[in-house]
Amino acid sequence: MNCQRLKNWVEERYDVEEIKDFAKKKLVPTHKYEIWYYTGGITLFLFVIQFITGMILSFYYVPHFEHAYKSIIEIVTKLNMGWFFRSLHHWGAQLAIVFLFIHVWSTLLLKSYRKPREFLWFSGFMLLGISIFFGLSGYLLLWDERAFAAVKVATGGAGNLPVIGNFIKAFLRGGIDVTGETLIRFYAFHVSILPLATLFLIGLHILLVQYHGMSVPLSLEKKAHKEIPFFPNLFYKDLIIWLIILGIVVTLATLVPPEIGKKADPLAPAPENIKPEWYFLFLFQTLKLFPGEILGLNGEMIAIILISCGILFFFLIPFFDKKSNRGEKSPLFTWIGIIYFLYFVIMTVFGFVS
Amino acid sequence: MKIDYSLITRRTFLNTLFGGWLVALCSGSAYALLKFAFPTLGKEPDFVVLNTKDFMNIPPNSVKPFAWGGKVGLFFKNANGTSTALKGVCTHMECNITYKPEDKKFYCACHKGWFDENGKNIEGPPPKPLEFFDFKIEGEKLIVAKKGIKVELPKA
Amino acid sequence: MKRFIITITLMLIHATNLLAQQEKVDVFPAVSYDRFIIFQTLAIFWIGIIGLIIIIKIKLKEIERIQKMGINKEEKDIPLLD
Repeated sequence: MNCQRLKNWVEERYDVEEIKDFAKKKLVPTHKYEIWYYTGGITLFLFVIQFITGMILSFYYVPHFEHAYKSIIEIVTKLNMGWFFRSLHHWGAQLAIVFLFIHVWSTLLLKSYRKPREFLWFSGFMLLGISIFFGLSGYLLLWDERAFAAVKVATGGAGNLPVIGNFIKAFLRGGIDVTGETLIRFYAFHVSILPLATLFLIGLHILLVQYHGMSVPLSLEKKAHKEIPFFPNLFYKDLIIWLIILGIVVTLATLVPPEIGKKADPLAPAPENIKPEWYFLFLFQTLKLFPGEILGLNGEMIAIILISCGILFFFLIPFFDKKSNRGEKSPLFTWIGIIYFLYFVIMTVFGFVS
Repeated sequence: MKIDYSLITRRTFLNTLFGGWLVALCSGSAYALLKFAFPTLGKEPDFVVLNTKDFMNIPPNSVKPFAWGGKVGLFFKNANGTSTALKGVCTHMECNITYKPEDKKFYCACHKGWFDENGKNIEGPPPKPLEFFDFKIEGEKLIVAKKGIKVELPKA
Repeated sequence: MKRFIITITLMLIHATNLLAQQEKVDVFPAVSYDRFIIFQTLAIFWIGIIGLIIIIKIKLKEIERIQKMGINKEEKDIPLLD
């Protein structure tokens, strides 16, 4: 089937040749660190899975505190393939966050954030924040004991920020406590506000990547390196990796479906040994380190302020790292990156063990 | 004194007027939107009315939860048989606490905080002691109120 | 032998744990026939993925071969036979 008439119809209206030329001309550098280029594509692919499975799950989910828990159990036990798609949505989210973290750290350690790619770093960082908030809000939608306590702690933690803390807390909770109002709010965040923001930021992120081209690590920038065309060479390689990731997600979703705990009850005590999702563990563990009172001040508040400063510094790293902006090596920031990484890993492991 | 020529050109004046007007209109609209997005906050109740029968007969060294607004309150009878009521929310991160009869302590599972029988924070991260309530019995009614609050029940 | 006993006791402890967690929601179809079909489908899915990957690899090799020969760049001014 050649569809010559259809081709002609399109070609009369759009300059197809130009688009084809553009695709052919796009070159991507190839070197020993090129494997990190794929992490962004993997994350994008996982986001697509999340969008599709999420849309279908929203056909059946009821965002009301009395029915939410039951509706999920119905999805899992009664609907065709419901257990699978819920599980896929869960594992897609987990892997998306894993690859986001890998992507962020590879960018940090290879200094791809340096001039002129600051906005790529900022948009990417915002996407990471949004994804974590996606995780937190999606997690509450289950409305089980563990999610209830975790959201209470997370929103309460935000309340410890000076000045704006209480405003944020009340805004997130939709009241003074975590109630049915909070569930509806988080539902709105999860299915409308965050996806739209994500689409916009992903669009911006990809557009900026096209505009700047792929960043080449400092150590290799001055040496000659080969470049290969994005289409078809890299496109097919991306496709292979996406297929492998799809296989892994589907396998995990089938073999390790996530458990559903007891229905949340505002009057029940917090369940024993609750732990937040793994990407919150390092924060959770940091909070545990601080005693209730330091020199007569509120310990939590100090902890939250320190954590916020750490995150803010991380966000603004392209501005602090003057050396790599000039194209020189900056071992100090490599070390800072390694320290952030080690802190995250060690605290997460501690959180798991303790 | 009169200046022959204005120091501000007509164009700057118009641009400033346009920009200022735009900013004013947008911030007004944004304020209205935020006002709507921000919830009207409820208040924690000053007192709640419970049923005496349900709570006075609990065995010693145990607790029974009741709803204190959107939070949980605990009606607590210690081993000597003295009853008290307290807010069952950890002062650290607002997790609901539970009573451990074998240790005679209150425990918060979220971050492993411990309080003794009198609500004093003895171990773990909690920064403050638990909040206790006053309670009195009026026939069928058990009235649990914040400390220092005068309860005036509406006459039925 | 000692190790054997320890593993057995550990398994038993885990088994009691399973009993203790009552009212668990079935997040996976419980019927063994359904389970068999699910695993079978998973295997077929993987075969599909691997097959596709092999085809793409072959395609990539072909593309790279052509690129090495340098005949992928079409000349603009070739007269067309219409």
